[in-house]
Amino acid sequence: MGAYILLRLISAIAVMAMVGGFVFLLLRLASGDPAAMIAGPMATQQTIDGIREQLGLNQPLPVQFAHWALGILSGDLGDSILAGLPVLKLISQRLEPTVSLSILTMILSAAAGVSFGIFAAWRAGGLVDRMLTAFSALGYSVPVFVVGYFLIYFFAIETRWLPVQGYVSVHNGVGPWFSHLILPTIALGVPYIAFIARITRASMLEVLSEDYMRTAAAKGASTYAMLFHHALKNAGAPILTVLGISFAYLIGGVVITETVFNIPGVGRLVVDAINNRDYPVIQGVLILVSGLYVLINLAIDIAYTLVDPRIRY
Amino acid sequence: MRSAYSFEGKRDMTISRRDLIKAGMVAGTALSVPSILRAQAAPSAAQTVRIAGGNITNFDPYATTTYVTVDHGLAIYDTLFALDSKLAPQPQMVGKWGVSDDQKAYTFELRDGLGFNDGSPVTAADCVASIRRWFQTASGQLVKERAKDVSKKDDKTFTIVLKEPMGLLIDQLAASANYLLFVMREKDADRPPTEPVTTHIGSGPFKFNEALFRPGVSYVYDPNDKYVPRKEPPSGLSGGKIVRVERVIKEVISDAQTALAALQAGEIDLVSVPPANLFPMIESDPNLVLEDLHKSGDDYLLRMNCLQKPFDNVKARQAILHLVDQEAFLHIINPNPKYNRPITSLFGTNTPYTNDANIGWYKKGGNPERARQLFKEAGYAGEKIVVLQPTDWLPGSNAAQFLAAELKKIGINAELAPSDWAGLAARRSKKDAVEAGGWSIYPSSAVDLSFGDPLSTAWMNMDGKSYYGWLKNDEYEALRAKWADGTPEERKALARTMQQIWWDAVPSVFLGQSVTPIARRKTLTGLVSFPALLPMWNLQKS
Repeated sequence: MGAYILLRLISAIAVMAMVGGFVFLLLRLASGDPAAMIAGPMATQQTIDGIREQLGLNQPLPVQFAHWALGILSGDLGDSILAGLPVLKLISQRLEPTVSLSILTMILSAAAGVSFGIFAAWRAGGLVDRMLTAFSALGYSVPVFVVGYFLIYFFAIETRWLPVQGYVSVHNGVGPWFSHLILPTIALGVPYIAFIARITRASMLEVLSEDYMRTAAAKGASTYAMLFHHALKNAGAPILTVLGISFAYLIGGVVITETVFNIPGVGRLVVDAINNRDYPVIQGVLILVSGLYVLINLAIDIAYTLVDPRIRY
Repeated sequence: MRSAYSFEGKRDMTISRRDLIKAGMVAGTALSVPSILRAQAAPSAAQTVRIAGGNITNFDPYATTTYVTVDHGLAIYDTLFALDSKLAPQPQMVGKWGVSDDQKAYTFELRDGLGFNDGSPVTAADCVASIRRWFQTASGQLVKERAKDVSKKDDKTFTIVLKEPMGLLIDQLAASANYLLFVMREKDADRPPTEPVTTHIGSGPFKFNEALFRPGVSYVYDPNDKYVPRKEPPSGLSGGKIVRVERVIKEVISDAQTALAALQAGEIDLVSVPPANLFPMIESDPNLVLEDLHKSGDDYLLRMNCLQKPFDNVKARQAILHLVDQEAFLHIINPNPKYNRPITSLFGTNTPYTNDANIGWYKKGGNPERARQLFKEAGYAGEKIVVLQPTDWLPGSNAAQFLAAELKKIGINAELAPSDWAGLAARRSKKDAVEAGGWSIYPSSAVDLSFGDPLSTAWMNMDGKSYYGWLKNDEYEALRAKWADGTPEERKALARTMQQIWWDAVPSVFLGQSVTPIARRKTLTGLVSFPALLPMWNLQKS
């Protein structure tokens, strides 16, 4: 397995190198000029040309790429064109909200989704199952921003129980941190709860119909033991896959949630960077996110072997 | 339940529930300490004004014309002169000034006690360096060309010596339409024009709190205790800029709906650009008010590429002039008619030079038949007209779509080219034919105030090179060159003649004017009214 992990790490580096080259070219070939965005809508061409010169955007593309690639190899993602600050610093400033939101969402999604799925499978065909299935269909279909605005209206404007927007660092108190993340977590978590619940239900139903489950029931195993000791363990692999994939997709989905709830995370950083054609920031975030995707995939593969010892590499 | 972690020969490490609760309380207290300390040091929430505004992407007010940067400049820098509420120039940092008998040498003396927020005094050398930096901008270009010498006489006095008399000098020094003349420290202003100023040292009413600065998230301004306000009451950008709150925080809230929800919930005090479709909701909330601070608003226009077919032909450009139904365009830009009005004067609706010369083209509802005829006279033969559509700017995006539909109605081969503003900004600089990636026409907007300044407002020239569209008209340019020399009355006459030429040549076409009120909580008062800009002094929060 050690050799497998090493091989995967080497391929991950190759993948990230390709991603880097692709992202660099894609941004340069796309329309848009950071100098024009900096200068403002009423600036003359002369002003814009001056800014382009100062930013080094007039240099040939291979030269720009070489500068950037060499920087990456030495751990420097470059400086933001707009903010003038190191990209790593900007990302690190925005990491805490995104990580907080992602982790809370995954905890909520996994806990609620798996519980709903198990419960629905246990009561398959009954009222509870139909209600949970309906919730799953609805939760997976309704866009995050609709859920977000709905939650804001009821829980922030009407009742004033929770804040509308913003983020408070955990260093400023766990209470304020948590209260600012409740609504975004629910809004972002709803589709994942629905998705995980559906997969869990299907997986559990399959396992529950196996012969060994009937044997366990015949031997007098309790419902708890049947569901959690026998069924869930064997239904775990597909659920784990879905959890992993959900976490990877979550990084993309977090952008909308951060916008709706005005959370200054990595998602908003990259959206602002795209709007302003801040190339170094876009490149830096994409490199880091692609690296994260690769690591998550690697972690899922390793987790398989832990959940199901029959899987070997 | 007790968890036992006893080891032979070691202290019993059993943890009771009570221990756990105690540990939790200690941990909670420890986590709360930083916030308690901060709360003691920070200004009170009751005297902190929170404003939802745009993202500042460049802090150097000499490097960009974006209004959020100018607002930042107004907070931390001061100006030599400033426009009052009637758009008349008033001395600001300048205490006394005079002009020689031949009207060529101006002498300016700074007020006593002026200092930067780093503790250093404001000197004439700082003013001279700042003027030279301003010379590098479109706004300072004219004075630069006319100036023979700008130099300091002593620490408080400096002079501007002109080659020829220039009646507009003080107006230019006070001009607020594009690049304001902010006074920086000499060492900041002396940086090469291509290097943006990144420090935040000024002598304005606020100081920028760099410790709390979070790029793209929030900008914090604290009162500058070294600021020396003028004695006069605030009026426009002039007069005493007194800070009456403990802190102003500008928060970047990119989603307008969220910003409004935050305003309703009392998390912020002001939304600088509320979306027009939410005005009814704001008006129905007893805690909120819409306030028309900017008065004259934004003027929307279409810019045409005069180098390529069909708009290289004046008849085709005149066709667009007749095609546009300003009321219809305004309705899709802002559905609230009370904030809209048509524009017919090149010099806007509310500047000293607004006039009615050569506006016979204006017809309520537009004149599509006349437009069709003019396209025919232009020899239009089905060439593709590419309408640039800025998808991330809703009024512009809607206007582009509506224009394309109107063109198709009269048989024109119009095609939308959607992109975000960054894409549009890059494409509009291309002079090529549309087949080679060029463009034909795009929507834009500018604050009405800028229309009173044809010298530094880039799109008001017809020099064929400085601004997108590139129409050249020497007669117009000759008149524009005289703008700075005359008296106000002479400029009014000049404005009529320039407008006459403009509407014959038609480098651009107006879509109308729409005022965007700010939305604020009723507890926030004292806002200074000025076109386009949002000064932060004089704010009061109850």
